[in-house]
Amino acid sequence: MQSTTISATLAFLALATPGLAEVTVLGWPGGPEETALRAATEAYNAREGLADADRVELLFTSRDGFYDKLAADLAAGTTAFDAHQIATYSIGRYAPFMTPVDLGPAAATTFGESVLATQQFDGKQFGVPTDLSLHFLYYRSDLIDALLADADAAARYTEIAQEHLGEALTPKAPDEWTWRDWAATALYFTKAVNPDSPTRYGAVLQMKNLLFNIMVFQSLPRAYGGDWTDEAGKVTVDSEAYRTGLDLYKMLYDAGATPPDSTGYEFAEANAAYASGQVATMVQWNAAAAELTDPEKAPTVAAVTATIAPPSGPEGRFTHVHSLGLGLNAAAENKEGAQRFLQWLATPEAMAIYARAGGAPGLTGAALEAVVGERPDLAPLGEYASQYGYVMRGGTSANALAIYQLQAAEFTGYWAGTESLDQALADTTKGMTELLAGK
Amino acid sequence: MIAPKTRENRLLATPLVLYLLLLLGFPTVLNVFYSLSEVSFETLRTPRLSGFGNFTAVLSDPAFWRAVWFSLRFGVLTATVEVALGLFLAVFLSPLLQARPWLLALLTLPIMIAPAMMGLMYRLALHEFVGPLPYYLFEWFGNSPAFLSPGWVFWTVCVIEILQWTPFALLLFHLAYSSIPADVREAARMDGARGWRTFRRVELPMLMPTLALAAVIRLIDGIRVFDNIYVLVGAGPGGSTTSLPIYIYTAFFRGGSLGPALAASVLFAIAAFAGLFLALRAADRRAGA
Repeated sequence: MQSTTISATLAFLALATPGLAEVTVLGWPGGPEETALRAATEAYNAREGLADADRVELLFTSRDGFYDKLAADLAAGTTAFDAHQIATYSIGRYAPFMTPVDLGPAAATTFGESVLATQQFDGKQFGVPTDLSLHFLYYRSDLIDALLADADAAARYTEIAQEHLGEALTPKAPDEWTWRDWAATALYFTKAVNPDSPTRYGAVLQMKNLLFNIMVFQSLPRAYGGDWTDEAGKVTVDSEAYRTGLDLYKMLYDAGATPPDSTGYEFAEANAAYASGQVATMVQWNAAAAELTDPEKAPTVAAVTATIAPPSGPEGRFTHVHSLGLGLNAAAENKEGAQRFLQWLATPEAMAIYARAGGAPGLTGAALEAVVGERPDLAPLGEYASQYGYVMRGGTSANALAIYQLQAAEFTGYWAGTESLDQALADTTKGMTELLAGK
Repeated sequence: MIAPKTRENRLLATPLVLYLLLLLGFPTVLNVFYSLSEVSFETLRTPRLSGFGNFTAVLSDPAFWRAVWFSLRFGVLTATVEVALGLFLAVFLSPLLQARPWLLALLTLPIMIAPAMMGLMYRLALHEFVGPLPYYLFEWFGNSPAFLSPGWVFWTVCVIEILQWTPFALLLFHLAYSSIPADVREAARMDGARGWRTFRRVELPMLMPTLALAAVIRLIDGIRVFDNIYVLVGAGPGGSTTSLPIYIYTAFFRGGSLGPALAASVLFAIAAFAGLFLALRAADRRAGA
């Protein structure tokens, strides 16, 4: 009896202990990334001949304040996980607590160099890019088609453009839109500007004081040649490019082309506004595409929603791009095992499993062809990232997140009318100069 | 020579003192130390003492003073309305609550909701396209205020706070009002006092300690507001809804300015301590008078 009890206890402990030598991975919780990572991990753990020390166990915390908690954990030298979530804009912040990773030769053929670069800092690879985030311009194809087919509507459009933008623009197909064409279209489809508009608002801008909203905004100044710094490292946000972008947003907000409480909007609120059918266009993260084109989730607009890369400017067409990925904790207890898992994740085989389970990797070549039949949305993702993707100078620096936060506070202040454009840009320049100097 | 009783008391109090020292004392000392240091996430274990630079930086930051002003305005306004409304409801509903005490449980339900959840709930309820309130306003009047727009947001967050925490004041006042001895009211009636006069001259003075307590608790809670506002509108456009705790949080985590953030928290703690000290001293004097 006693020996049975001891054996049962030992067996229980063996099953209950999560394997001391296992690889522990802290993932990005609560979205398609979690589902995809779980599927890939399951496949990895099911591989024949996998050593016990290489089995992967996933950990997830709450998404709210995830990066803040991660910063505190890493700074404290945690050994609770061997590999963890990182993002392009936070690599510089976490790099001192991470070990660069060798993804092997397969990585370049799976992702392509431009996508791999989104997980690099100081010329070193810090992570495997599992999910790509960039921006689409979402628009109502039914409304645009009707506008293009109606001469009277086109005349009214031109009048509105002349009145608000000082230029007699004519309606164009969305793939020819500049930011000014987009603005004119947004004004035309705004009830406050054009009482005959079929929608209440022509656009929905995300203007909450939140760093991610500035990522959405900054493709506009970028199309006018804007950058955070010049080559010498001098901050250059007080430029015509940023002034043009900020003014265009402000003009649309003041004209009522976006809901008046857009100053409190982020991803979810903007999607809800667009899905209501009362908004004609929206620049939004690619992650919204699945929801807005699903007839069950967005019955009013799913069938008539089209996507394209954001509008162009004098310097070209651009989309902010960043990736989520997984990198190595410098204090990891099983660094070798974690390294092997990350190398496997960078193979076409792993990424096919990941993509089929709902992830959004930026794939290229044969890796893309293997899954594009089931995930057609991944094709423009890779295409836009390579053709229009950019990262601002300093966009992966240690204080990149703080810079976005600073811009969010200052720019939203200008849009909401609590501070002048000159003051907002002067404060941003001063703050960015200090942050880029590491103060 | 220490009396055996005193020794015993000290012995019994030791675990509590150690517990407080560990859980409050250590973080406080560390906080003060970091606030006097040049420190970042990278140098948490090797901070460099730098004097009062962080304090100077905070005190010369206009955003800090805007946050102080927001917190004070928010705290004073919400505490005043909550206390006034709670007192009015406690007196007005007293006969009903005496007859049906279960109603009190219903009325105090809002205080059981986590403030962050409250923020999330109103984020949905006030959204122009999915929120029930704007929906019905559009249906009935053809338009709706944009509750979270710059012109409205301060009043919106105040109303949300007041709706959630007035029941707390009501609960305190109801208990205090019910515990006024019946013979005191009877004596006032015998002396010819009625209605408003009884309330003004007899009941209100007896409620004053509760009133002061409710006001202080709600003022402190209002000044340190964080979760519901942060979930609802973040720091607000241009930082317009940045309370002191939100200022500290964003400076620490988002801005990576650990030293200045902790200096702000030390200043906040000193101001709170001074305020409490003065309030308690005033209460003591009043009680002694």
